[in-house]
Amino acid sequence: MNTIEKLIKEKLDREIQTNTRRHFIKNCVTGMGGLALGSIFMGCDPFGKSSAPNLGMNNRSLNPLAPLTPPFNPKAKSVIHIHMAGAPSQLELFDYKPQLTKLHNQACPESFIQGKKFAFIRGTPKLLGQQANFKREGQSGQWVSDYIPHFKKIVDDVAFLKAVHTDQFNHGPAQLFMHTGSPRLGRPSVGSWATYGLGSENQNLPGFVVLTSGGKTPSAGKSVWGSGFLPSVYQGVQCRSKGDPVLYLDDPEGATRDIKKKTIDAINNINKEEYTKYTDPEILARINQYEMAYRMQIAVPEVMNINDEPEHIKEMYGVEPGKESLANNCLLARKLVEDGVRYVQLFDWGWDSHGTGHQTAIDLGFRNKCREMDRPVSALILDLKQRGLLEDTLVVWGGEFGRTPMQENREGKEMAFKGRDHHGDAFTMWMAGGGVKGGVSYGQTDEIGFSPVEGRVSVHDVHATMMHLLGFNHEQFTYDFQGRPFRLTDVEGEVIKEILA
Amino acid sequence: MKKKVITASLLFLAVFLIIGVWQSLKPEEKVNYSTDIKPILNKHCITCHGGVKKSAGLSFLFKEEAFADTEAGHPAIIPGNAAKSSFIQRLKEKDPELRMPYEKAKLSDNEIDLLTRWVDQGAQWGKHWAYSLPEKVEVPNTTQVAGFSSSNETSFLKNDIDNFILEKLEANNLQPNKPADKEVIIRRLSFDITGVPPSETLFNTWMNGSLPYEAMVDTLLAKKTYGEKWATWWLDLARYADSKGYEKDGSRSIWKYRDWVIKSLNEDMPYDQFTIEQLAGDLLPEPSLDQLIATAFHRNTMNNDEGGTEDEEFRVASVIDRVNTTFEVWQSTTIGCVQCHSHTYDPFKNEEYYKMMAFFNNTMDEDTPDEVPTLKFYTKEQQREVDKINAWVAKYGDAKLAKEYHNFLLYSHPMYQVHRAKNFKNGQLADGKYLALWDNGSCLIEDITTNEAGYMYIKYWSSYNGTKMTIKEDDENGEILSEFTINKSGNKIHKIPFTKLNKKVNLFFEANNDKLPEQANTSSISLFGFIRDIPGKDAPGYEEINATFLTLINTGTTTVPIMVENPEYMQRTTQVFERGNWLMKGDTVQPTTPEILNPWKKEWPKDRLGLAKWMVSKENPLTARTLVNRVWHQIYGYGIVASLEDMGSQSDAPSHPQLLDWLSLRFMNDHNWSIKKLVKDIVLSGTYRQSSISSPALNELDPHNELYARGPRIRLGAEQIRDQALAVSGLLSDKMYGPGVMPHQPFGVWQTVYSGEKWKTSEGEDQYRRGIYTFLKRTSPYPSFITFDAGSREVCTVRRTVTNTPLQALVTLNDPVYLEAAYHLAKYMDTSDQTPNKITIGYKKALYSTIRPSTLQILEELYTDAFTEFNSDAEATKQFLPFEKEPTANIAALTVVANAIMNLDEFLTKS
Repeated sequence: MNTIEKLIKEKLDREIQTNTRRHFIKNCVTGMGGLALGSIFMGCDPFGKSSAPNLGMNNRSLNPLAPLTPPFNPKAKSVIHIHMAGAPSQLELFDYKPQLTKLHNQACPESFIQGKKFAFIRGTPKLLGQQANFKREGQSGQWVSDYIPHFKKIVDDVAFLKAVHTDQFNHGPAQLFMHTGSPRLGRPSVGSWATYGLGSENQNLPGFVVLTSGGKTPSAGKSVWGSGFLPSVYQGVQCRSKGDPVLYLDDPEGATRDIKKKTIDAINNINKEEYTKYTDPEILARINQYEMAYRMQIAVPEVMNINDEPEHIKEMYGVEPGKESLANNCLLARKLVEDGVRYVQLFDWGWDSHGTGHQTAIDLGFRNKCREMDRPVSALILDLKQRGLLEDTLVVWGGEFGRTPMQENREGKEMAFKGRDHHGDAFTMWMAGGGVKGGVSYGQTDEIGFSPVEGRVSVHDVHATMMHLLGFNHEQFTYDFQGRPFRLTDVEGEVIKEILA
Repeated sequence: MKKKVITASLLFLAVFLIIGVWQSLKPEEKVNYSTDIKPILNKHCITCHGGVKKSAGLSFLFKEEAFADTEAGHPAIIPGNAAKSSFIQRLKEKDPELRMPYEKAKLSDNEIDLLTRWVDQGAQWGKHWAYSLPEKVEVPNTTQVAGFSSSNETSFLKNDIDNFILEKLEANNLQPNKPADKEVIIRRLSFDITGVPPSETLFNTWMNGSLPYEAMVDTLLAKKTYGEKWATWWLDLARYADSKGYEKDGSRSIWKYRDWVIKSLNEDMPYDQFTIEQLAGDLLPEPSLDQLIATAFHRNTMNNDEGGTEDEEFRVASVIDRVNTTFEVWQSTTIGCVQCHSHTYDPFKNEEYYKMMAFFNNTMDEDTPDEVPTLKFYTKEQQREVDKINAWVAKYGDAKLAKEYHNFLLYSHPMYQVHRAKNFKNGQLADGKYLALWDNGSCLIEDITTNEAGYMYIKYWSSYNGTKMTIKEDDENGEILSEFTINKSGNKIHKIPFTKLNKKVNLFFEANNDKLPEQANTSSISLFGFIRDIPGKDAPGYEEINATFLTLINTGTTTVPIMVENPEYMQRTTQVFERGNWLMKGDTVQPTTPEILNPWKKEWPKDRLGLAKWMVSKENPLTARTLVNRVWHQIYGYGIVASLEDMGSQSDAPSHPQLLDWLSLRFMNDHNWSIKKLVKDIVLSGTYRQSSISSPALNELDPHNELYARGPRIRLGAEQIRDQALAVSGLLSDKMYGPGVMPHQPFGVWQTVYSGEKWKTSEGEDQYRRGIYTFLKRTSPYPSFITFDAGSREVCTVRRTVTNTPLQALVTLNDPVYLEAAYHLAKYMDTSDQTPNKITIGYKKALYSTIRPSTLQILEELYTDAFTEFNSDAEATKQFLPFEKEPTANIAALTVVANAIMNLDEFLTKS
């Protein structure tokens, strides 16, 4: 056999494998809603990793969250995506532009803004110099601003993407784009894709958990963790720090755990009789779900409780138990991935720094937000690292777009506070852990940080890279809907090889 | 050595030739393009040689492309000569670099043989089955299966549907199941027709044998609850919601449309009319209020109010959604792909998308926050005033003017949106939406037709007195057309004298008020418009009529957004978007339907009305099939074509193609598009009435029940599960219609950005209305419905994927609504004496069947355990029963039992 033939044969074999797998996921999922008894005994998922004691917990037709291995070698087992909702200014955090500071208060050259659309900037705005001071940090010597003093401890663990671009410059569509690969509603979120493709390692907790802070949910609403056309079981489950951590998790007042256990036992025993009569596999699936619900009632409050963490850990993150805060959520994120949750999505609201008031001024409210974010996010990376979790946990940080080097002049008027408008052409995101090279930076912007000049990557590229690290080829990982296969990256996306370890 | 090889080769060649000659001599079966060839092309070829890629200049999507010259300079297919066709040669090629499919496994010998023969036979092109409809379908002759008595009661064959089903069952060596038990079939039927369990009276009449099956079906079909059940399905398709979607997701008043759907279904409005009114009710002659409400179908598109967004971008997004939704709802076709390129698999061309879009591109709505045009609903007193004006205009003016006033009073249109303003000096479009000039500010709005009106109606609000607004022609030196003062005002329509003009003009707006702070908005204008003056100037009462008119157009009423076509002078042209990008406009196109589907008739107008008529023409191959397939799916949980979304060359093949066509023809011709009659046909069949009891062997052979050797058994829908719990506990309200209600939901579920809107728990019976009336906010739908797979209705939902998750268990176990229902069922149970009797009547009430002794035993034990616990803890009992004045351990334990019953698989499932 000559080399070409050999290569073709290998390629074909690989294709057969992936196709079979794709087919198999699809079948299993259809089976959840339909009636796929055949698979109960054969088992959709051949490897039994989960330790759950019940019948068919590793079986997709009975348990849609049964863990699966991805088609390619995964570098990351779980993901923590920290989203700064409202879009933080890359120019006060990571993208050092001394030239911009020199040009402070000068009119922006026409050539930059010609043909560009902004959300609020009108006419000719002035440039706004960088409000923070920058220093090289870590062994890698990367530029980091003094708005985030703790970050230097982790700078050698992160890979910066300094020229990410998005074609959306309004919050709602841009957030949807960042989380579902499409600015319109209706597509599954990255976390849903991950949970659909990989299931969950822990059958007592949801596979995809969402935690919000900052007082509000993201502009685009719950669709940013929705499952789109994927079965709803793969949508993110919002865990709340006030009220039930998961809706309807708490038993009604006055009912003891014992009564709940007996109720579920009675339901399941009667359902078993029902199964004997109808032999409908959906009944077995339901028995499993009731068992899981019961276990979740214990496991979720346990994992959501940060009071029992040692003092030095609480101190490290700066948590405030009982409150809703990014610090609490960062600590919770660690606990969740430690317990085998596949995808943890954090949203922190309040980063939309237009300079319309004190709260949204770059040098005031924004600076405070940076401080609130810096300590827990740095702590999260350090904590994951010291527990050996960072190597297979992918941490992604960013907003839905970046901010302009120009000072905002809402409706053409001068503003009292310093603000920056939405800017999607070039902004900074970073990744750490799970298969990502530490201490590197990819992509560059021009002298004032407005346009990408090198290493421009798209939101689709970021998604392709995340999928790659989880063990998927983003072009092959599809789901049929409305008569055609859909994928997270639509018809685009390239893996950003430059930041892979 | 060399010689041997040659000999062997010659021998080989000889054998080959002999086989070849024999092959060519044997009588050949005619190859069918649609069933034999198209599937092979679609599976192996079209991904590279199709709508998107056209590798080497070859595409198999359209006939003319398949036979055209490729990049090689000659056609790949030479009809009648497979040997010379490179299409066939390349399939057999040894060199892997040249062999097709490229870098994929070789086609099977059988496939190559089929393709070869097809080319040799002349390469006849054909249509996929989905794109043509037969004129008649014969019902198969099937005799009764052995093993069943032929008495009418137990016979499987109840109507013609069963012949189609039986034929295939027999072909698979299967027998139909025995009929479902009486108490099972009535519950199944009641859920399928009305979405709620049967009333006690109906149940008893049926069980005691005094009601024949068909009469029971008719009774259920006549119930008002029928419309509520089937509207839930239609509203998924219509993407109905009570909010606008996108970031702000503010509330939208469009519930009149939901009520219209319920009423129309209850009246069994024929589906062709149902279609026409929703797509083009406004274009019907003298449309009724109801026909205008119906057009809200396409106003269910999302509306983006986020600050800084461009209205035109989202207007276009809505128009695109209307095209896509129309095709998904009526044609089972994913036309969305064609927006950027010709369809990859189906014969729709890129340009055809924009020709379709041209039908929808001329309505007045423009993604503005007020969602105009909106239809107004006047009170009786207001309506009397409206009638007076209409009568006045009719008396003194012409019919055209009378119509203009009639419409203006109904939906305050036509008016111009200000977001088309440009050339701003000292001013801006505030928030991207409102015309806001500062002192010494100006802007230009082009191409305005003033209709020779003596007045301008202009809507604005202002925080300042004394702004002088001047409107000139073209620019600052132009003729002054109007001058007026703007004073402090709420947001309302003002009437301003205006120079009469009989031409299109450019309006130059100028504002002056030097008393204002710098850069302060003199006013915020949203709309302005012109309507010819009210006639009858000299008649007494003229002033009063004018005043009443202004009052009425400023009167707030209940509204519903509707579709209204632009008048001729405001029409947009439609252009192709290059690669689907709305900013890159290409050739101008006219409204036209896709070539592959039924031909256009000359008598149809080239607008939405014509489009609707084309859609419900009996020649359209997809409309009736789509509807029949989806109604079938509602009942069986599986479509005759399993891919409900798609009937085309990539769709699943129909399990019973002839049944699908027979039902479609019957639906159009015999039933005159009556959905009720279609439903009745389906539920009268023996197929439907079978027991849903299955067996491991049957499950393995037919996991999806596509052969129908058993009755349907599927989990109830999200709304049905809640409705049922309320119904069996006696809480369900039968109040119909009206604004969306807000039953109890956990605190903090709504976290709305930038708006003060709150989930305010409804009072009284509104807490216990059917699920269809629950307020649906797109970014935050009612949590338990989402958990049970209802959608958020941002886009058209053809199918709800049914899942089975632990979160569902938490809802029915712990959601206060379900606990309240359990308590009320417990109170009912307590009317009996003795615990076993209490449990027995509770079970029967919830499930309509008699409890098995083993089940009773399990629930009795649960009762005893719960009773013991509550009996020792009076405080816990009190907490557990917040609804009860005198909480007892007995009621608490019965509530636990009732809660268990309402969590049984059988309760959550239609068996």
